[in-house]
Amino acid sequence: MWPDFGSMLSGWQWAIVAAIPPAMILLYFLKLKRQPLEVPSTYLWHRSIEDLHVNSIWQRLRRNLLLFLQLLLLLIVILALLQPSWKGRQLTGDRFIFLVDNSASMNATDVGPSRLDDAKAKVGELIEKMKSGDVAMIVSFADSARVEQMFTDDRNRLRRALHGIRPTQRSTSLLEALRVASGLANPGRSSEDDTDYQVAEALPADLYVLSDGQFTPPSFSLGNLEPTYVPIGLPDAANVGIMALSVRRGESNPELFQAFARLKNFADQPVQVSVDLLLHDELIDASELEIGAGEEGSVVFPLGAIESGVLKLKARTDDDLADDDEACVVVNPPRLARVLLVTTGDEPLEFGLQTELTKTVAEVTIEPPEFLKKREYLDRAAAGAYDLVIYDRCAPPQMPQANTLLIGSLPPVDGWASEPLHEAPVIIDVETGHPLLQWMDLGDVLLLEGTPLRPPASGAVLIDSDAGPMFAIAPREGFEDAVMGFVLLGEQTEEDGTTARYVGTNWHSRQSFPVFVLNLLDYFGGGRGAMKSESVRPTQPVVIEAPSPGAKLRVLTPGGDAISLSEGRSGKFSFTRTAESGVYEVQSDGKTFRRFAVNLFDPAESEIRPKEKIDIGWVPVEAQTDWEVARREIWKWLLLLGLVVLLLEWYIYNRRVYL
Amino acid sequence: MPETSTLLSPELLARLERMELISRKIFRGRMKGERRSPRKGQSVEFADFRSYVPGDDLRFVDWNTYARLEKLFLKMFLEEEDLHFYALIDATASMDFGEPTKLQYAAQLAAALGFIGLVRGDRVKIETLGQPAGQSSPVFRGRRSMWRMLDHIEQIEPGQVISLTEGVKNFCLRNSGKGIVVLLSDLMDKSGYEAALKYLVSQDMDIYVVQVLSAEEIDPEIQGDLRLVDCEDGDLAEITVSAPLMKRYQRTLAAFVDTAREFCTRRGMAYLLARNEVPVEDLVTGYLRTRGLVR
Repeated sequence: MWPDFGSMLSGWQWAIVAAIPPAMILLYFLKLKRQPLEVPSTYLWHRSIEDLHVNSIWQRLRRNLLLFLQLLLLLIVILALLQPSWKGRQLTGDRFIFLVDNSASMNATDVGPSRLDDAKAKVGELIEKMKSGDVAMIVSFADSARVEQMFTDDRNRLRRALHGIRPTQRSTSLLEALRVASGLANPGRSSEDDTDYQVAEALPADLYVLSDGQFTPPSFSLGNLEPTYVPIGLPDAANVGIMALSVRRGESNPELFQAFARLKNFADQPVQVSVDLLLHDELIDASELEIGAGEEGSVVFPLGAIESGVLKLKARTDDDLADDDEACVVVNPPRLARVLLVTTGDEPLEFGLQTELTKTVAEVTIEPPEFLKKREYLDRAAAGAYDLVIYDRCAPPQMPQANTLLIGSLPPVDGWASEPLHEAPVIIDVETGHPLLQWMDLGDVLLLEGTPLRPPASGAVLIDSDAGPMFAIAPREGFEDAVMGFVLLGEQTEEDGTTARYVGTNWHSRQSFPVFVLNLLDYFGGGRGAMKSESVRPTQPVVIEAPSPGAKLRVLTPGGDAISLSEGRSGKFSFTRTAESGVYEVQSDGKTFRRFAVNLFDPAESEIRPKEKIDIGWVPVEAQTDWEVARREIWKWLLLLGLVVLLLEWYIYNRRVYL
Repeated sequence: MPETSTLLSPELLARLERMELISRKIFRGRMKGERRSPRKGQSVEFADFRSYVPGDDLRFVDWNTYARLEKLFLKMFLEEEDLHFYALIDATASMDFGEPTKLQYAAQLAAALGFIGLVRGDRVKIETLGQPAGQSSPVFRGRRSMWRMLDHIEQIEPGQVISLTEGVKNFCLRNSGKGIVVLLSDLMDKSGYEAALKYLVSQDMDIYVVQVLSAEEIDPEIQGDLRLVDCEDGDLAEITVSAPLMKRYQRTLAAFVDTAREFCTRRGMAYLLARNEVPVEDLVTGYLRTRGLVR
């Protein structure tokens, strides 16, 4: 491979340089200065040099080592001035940003000890290739980004920072890392108006993304960042992951539980997977299933009647990612939902709340509206002692720290409004997707009258009628308020002063009503935990309710750490340190009262086949396995070689080393 | 008269006293000396018997033999004579090199050999090449002449301008007698040494050629680009010292020495290469002894 030549000199300077070697040879011929030396006789010398004189010019040239060394030195210097360079595998640019993916999928072991180690090794190589004076920054990213090392030219600090990147079980999002990276490359602007100017000089940088590319393409303008995507992992990496694990009541027999698991094969080949189900780390069931390439498979384990416990599912496969081969689910001991019904008397609802089935999930207290003024209610409502308060045709002066259902009245909070009473509204739309109205058909429900509602902007209409929304729901500071614009049982004051009652709808005599009541308890009441398993993804927050006001809580992580919780508002704690997957225990005064599981359950992370290209801001970035070539200049080495030649010449001259 | 000489140290003198010059030829001397002469005569060293012929001196008849054999035999004795020893020193400018200079070295050697001769009662003559044909050197004889001889040698100055052939020719013209000639020269004559040596050979003398070379000539320690100036004729030789040139010089020198040795050997001359680094004492007591010049 021939080198390219640059040049440090201008034309006339080159002319001078080119004239030096002939001048040097000329000087050698002229021998301007010969030292005279008197000898006894030149007799022998004449005879010695006689035949050397025959073709003396070339012989002398050929035999004069010093001249050759000097010419060589000169040529080396000229060559150095020519700035020869080769295309070499070296980093171009002088500012580098290394984005290292440390999400869950980077724990795959298809390359190196793990993909993260492979990425770290690659960044290590890149750091080695940095020229002196280059600066680099290292950012690790999963669902959030973390600056491991700000821009520095200290390779030791870079190496230390690189070494410090730990694997996580988080999902992947490149966006935040890009924002961090672009901070210096794309400086902000002073203002948005016409006079705007850049407050800082833009420092373009080369951006190296070391990832498997399994993330949502971020919508981001790269600006002065020059991206390079270095895919980590083998294209034929195989993985089978557990995508879901839950425990629910059997459809035919609610007393019996079933564990339901869904697995997905991300490989190109069908795979045989055997799954083990463990309760309290003891094998209780096992199954085997074959999953086609790219397909999902599910398995159901009948559990029988279990009170509580930790179920663990293990998929025994020989795949490249172990993190998603295990999942946990927690069946918490059933806790009765605490429900307060404030009513002057509403038999259909009272009846619906006190069936045998609802008794297993909720503890219902019925109080008259006068109760709302009592101290006991105020205290309990403020302390969040209720899961659900149903206000039947009445409204509290202040909303409680609980979910509420208001029937025929509006909550005393901003945002809620209603229109005048409407006669016989016809239900035209039911939001059956909402858990409250799941699987319900209200086509046979007639309403006598109703007040069309106008929920707040954050709210949602659940039942719409020709007159307007009849049932709506809106969030309120961590709780939800559901409001019914129609009543189940109305009261009317007759002319004689007596109170007459009338039926506001035929819903309570339809099949859907008890289902609604159950949904209500299920959705609003804490009883959900008794029936459904709780599982969150890593880093998702978990809201923990204290069993009693003022209790001190402690969370034991799967890794064995104990984290004390500071009390949030209204006796609720928000626990966010769920980066680790596994089972977390919540203790109150040393007694475990709740468990929850954190599982990966992320198809994006379980899909470990690296992408061939990634999109950043709709700009495709192709995978680059070979580093960008760069001019690798060697003039420094040439000068060093020249110095060696000079030393050699000096040595030969002084030590009379002859050819 | 100095008590010691720079030429000969007392220790060397003591050692030289026990030596004697040996000639491979037996020459007729002029005076009775300590040499056997081809002339039979009166000495104590018996030589031969011969039959009596009338007229012979009856004093030499061996009467014991006559008593036994009843025949007259004459006892013949070797007559002891003196030896002519010549030292011919080359005192041209080229001999003024080296440490000690080749001339000093040659003078020292001549003094040593001359002293041996003096001690043994030989006729010793120290001459230089540059001497005109008509001017003869004094003859030294007897131990008492030692200081005179040394004085004479010390007065030899380098820088005589004469070719080797011319000098030898003049020497031969001056000295027609037989004897031992030791030529002390570097033989570096551009016109060649062969003619000069042939002159010597024709004299029928016992000839020793001692080629004196300095260390600078045998192994020159020079470097760089040089203009060599011949000290005698001012001839120039421009050289650039390099390994090939030095090798070639060594080869030339070796060839020169070998040729001279062979030339001498073929003509019955003894050749000896003397380096000025080797002390004269070692040369005389060791080397010349093995070569048979001294005993």
